[in-house]
Amino acid sequence: MEEKKVLIVGGGIEGVRTAVKKAEAGANVTIIEKFPTLGAQRIPRDRIITPDNAFENPDLDKVRNNPKVEVMTYSDIKRVTQNDGKVNAKIKKKSIRVDNSKCNDCKACIKVCPVNMYDDFDEGFTFRTAVDYFNSTAGEYNIFKEDMPVCQRTCPVNLDIRTYVGQIADGKALNALETIRDRLPLPGSIGRVCPHPCETACNRQYLDEPISICFLKRYAADVELAQNIEPAYKTPEKKHPEKIAIIGAGPAGLTCAYDLARKGYQHITIFEALPVPGGYLWVGIPEYRLPKKLLKREVDLIAAMGVEIKYNARVGKDITMDQLRKDFDAVFIGAGCHRGLKLQCPGEDDYQGKGIVDCVTFLRKQALGELPKPNGKLIVIGGGNAAIDSARVGWRMGFDEVYILYRRTKKEMPANPWEIDAAEHEGVILQYLAAPVEILGDGNKVTGMKCIKMELGEPDASGRRRPVPMEGSEYTIDAGTIVPALSQGTDLSFLGENSDIAVNRWNTFDVDEETGMTNVPGVFAGGDVVTGADIAIRAVAGGKRAALGIDQYLRSR
Amino acid sequence: MIYEKNKRYIIPFDDVPTGRANMPEISVDERKGNFTEVETGFPEDVALTEAKRCLSCRRCLGCALCWAECKPEAIDFSIPHQEMELSFDEVVITSGQDNAFERISPQLGYGNYADVITDLHFERMLSPTGPTDGLVVSPRDGEVPKKVAIIQGNVKGGDDHLLSSLVLGVNEAILAVNKVDDLAISLISPVCQAFKDRFSGEAAKLKGLTIIEGAPESVERPQEGGALTLTYSQDGGSKKEDFDMVVVLTKPKISPEVAAMAKKLKQDVI
Repeated sequence: MEEKKVLIVGGGIEGVRTAVKKAEAGANVTIIEKFPTLGAQRIPRDRIITPDNAFENPDLDKVRNNPKVEVMTYSDIKRVTQNDGKVNAKIKKKSIRVDNSKCNDCKACIKVCPVNMYDDFDEGFTFRTAVDYFNSTAGEYNIFKEDMPVCQRTCPVNLDIRTYVGQIADGKALNALETIRDRLPLPGSIGRVCPHPCETACNRQYLDEPISICFLKRYAADVELAQNIEPAYKTPEKKHPEKIAIIGAGPAGLTCAYDLARKGYQHITIFEALPVPGGYLWVGIPEYRLPKKLLKREVDLIAAMGVEIKYNARVGKDITMDQLRKDFDAVFIGAGCHRGLKLQCPGEDDYQGKGIVDCVTFLRKQALGELPKPNGKLIVIGGGNAAIDSARVGWRMGFDEVYILYRRTKKEMPANPWEIDAAEHEGVILQYLAAPVEILGDGNKVTGMKCIKMELGEPDASGRRRPVPMEGSEYTIDAGTIVPALSQGTDLSFLGENSDIAVNRWNTFDVDEETGMTNVPGVFAGGDVVTGADIAIRAVAGGKRAALGIDQYLRSR
Repeated sequence: MIYEKNKRYIIPFDDVPTGRANMPEISVDERKGNFTEVETGFPEDVALTEAKRCLSCRRCLGCALCWAECKPEAIDFSIPHQEMELSFDEVVITSGQDNAFERISPQLGYGNYADVITDLHFERMLSPTGPTDGLVVSPRDGEVPKKVAIIQGNVKGGDDHLLSSLVLGVNEAILAVNKVDDLAISLISPVCQAFKDRFSGEAAKLKGLTIIEGAPESVERPQEGGALTLTYSQDGGSKKEDFDMVVVLTKPKISPEVAAMAKKLKQDVI
């Protein structure tokens, strides 16, 4: 009979002790510890000691010399999955960068290392260098390098922020831009619209405020513009013959095309339903946040790599999904979330298109110049960034007054705080703790909206306090246009009926974590059609992942 | 001069730019009725100053100085990471070597006073191979303390936590009184039944250690440079006593990654 295999997560005292116990019972044991050493030299917490044996740990030697125990230190568990009573673990054993069989313990490396950091093993009492002999009893050296700095790890596309910010500090903005473009083809656009999760993680915030990473990225892109430099994105000499179709020229699709072109694919076609590129960046982000000219330039640079963009080519109407799959070796779906969700309140259906227009349509029509002249007041309902964008667009268009109705308070509002402030600053009227009750109209068009005041009750499942209507507090706002900006969903009708591509209950695709492939081989997806409405940089990450997956898929065929 | 923020000391060097740069914008009047870009971008000098604020949070810089210095050529940056998929019949999840601990009430002075340390610090201090070579000294002034309080940092941490932290506290006290002549240690914590049953008898025999069944409330330094005043509750009353150093017993905190894994595999963390 095969011996039982046991995985011990964590090489602390408990882990080491359990490992000894399991090994003595006859199992094959593997200990995984993220630090470079086993941490079993501690004062025991379960028995009273005598001073002589305080820092002795017999378990440690038992583990080290036990053929049934494999110790994997400096290792991360990347993923665990469970099936049929078996647990499968994907493990990354990080390089210690020192061949300890050659090391003669002269400590010269420690003397020259310029890094001076708190020694976490000594609880920050002392400093150490990046070279360390962590495992002093075993005499093992290692060179400690974080996986990535926090900003880079937090960034969905793992931009090398530390490097490009450093290059900007050295006055080398163009080199910085090159660093950014290594992973992101849209630095100017993302540098303007990104809600920068990297800054939320930035360590400088503990000192004063985080580094303005996002704007620095924009700065690097602006320098190139100001100097009228037209870069040419290089593609490799060796070309691949396969044809790839990409649905949607948004951040996911464009990035996927960019990455594939850089891998040597020369037959990439993007099918874009709209007459313009950029997806939500063009038709969702208003001009005053991201000038179209700039976005167009960044798209043109990608197109110049040999990527064909077919505009006004709506998959499902102008070409079927089945045809795409027949004509192309791989298909990437990056169609985004371009369907505004409804309010679900009386009167809404009666006046659809007669004064009620969801935020996605509102912003798209404005961007394409299809909106009629504003008349009367505008009410935007919702608290997300799309609501703020719609209101600020309305204010610029010249509505008499612009209202945002949100059912909780400013504190709970999901929009970026700086966007909320900007809207208030411009004169948008924010009404918190208010919700729509009924859409009012004269039979032909919207004339206003009945609202009700809310108060905050007990916290709900999301942890936010649930708004409760206050009885008898109804009031009316006159308005000619009402824009519900609740949330956005996918429109997957282009798949056609009887599609074999699986769609989950959120009407998005479940894709492989590493390749971005759907359940159908050769069909990949990324961006909002996978994540639901999300930020642009995560769509970029989805496009990158799929480009990698597509390359793997095509090269292994 | 040195100031304090979020329990950290900060030295504001003149040559390090502080404060985040503001993004210049066009005025509200200029925005009305048009779609001109609102944010105008950093000018060069602002961008450079802002970029210089970056702390370059890094460990190994890749400067290769060690590599150049290493005579036996043992340093090899080309040793690759290894990725592997392994299959197991059983998984035991432990908290590992992560030394994170649950929040300690700011009332107890940890983070405010250099001579209020955690049991983890104290353990390193007591270790012969530790940062002080096993010497017990106050991190504030380097003096050898005469009176030390070991106090419970998580009074409501549960019986398991009380048992293990009390045993650790007693063990640290044993080591400390062996190193310092005439050291008086008070261990102030609620005491669980399991500790009473198994260890109270032995602990009572220890010279220099007094176990006080109570709950610490606050640690203050009423006089600059003076002793720490500990306030604790005992038998319904409140007491005050002065100490040279205070050690806070901590409760280990499970890292989010380990917690997520435990949840995924529907297991407890031991």
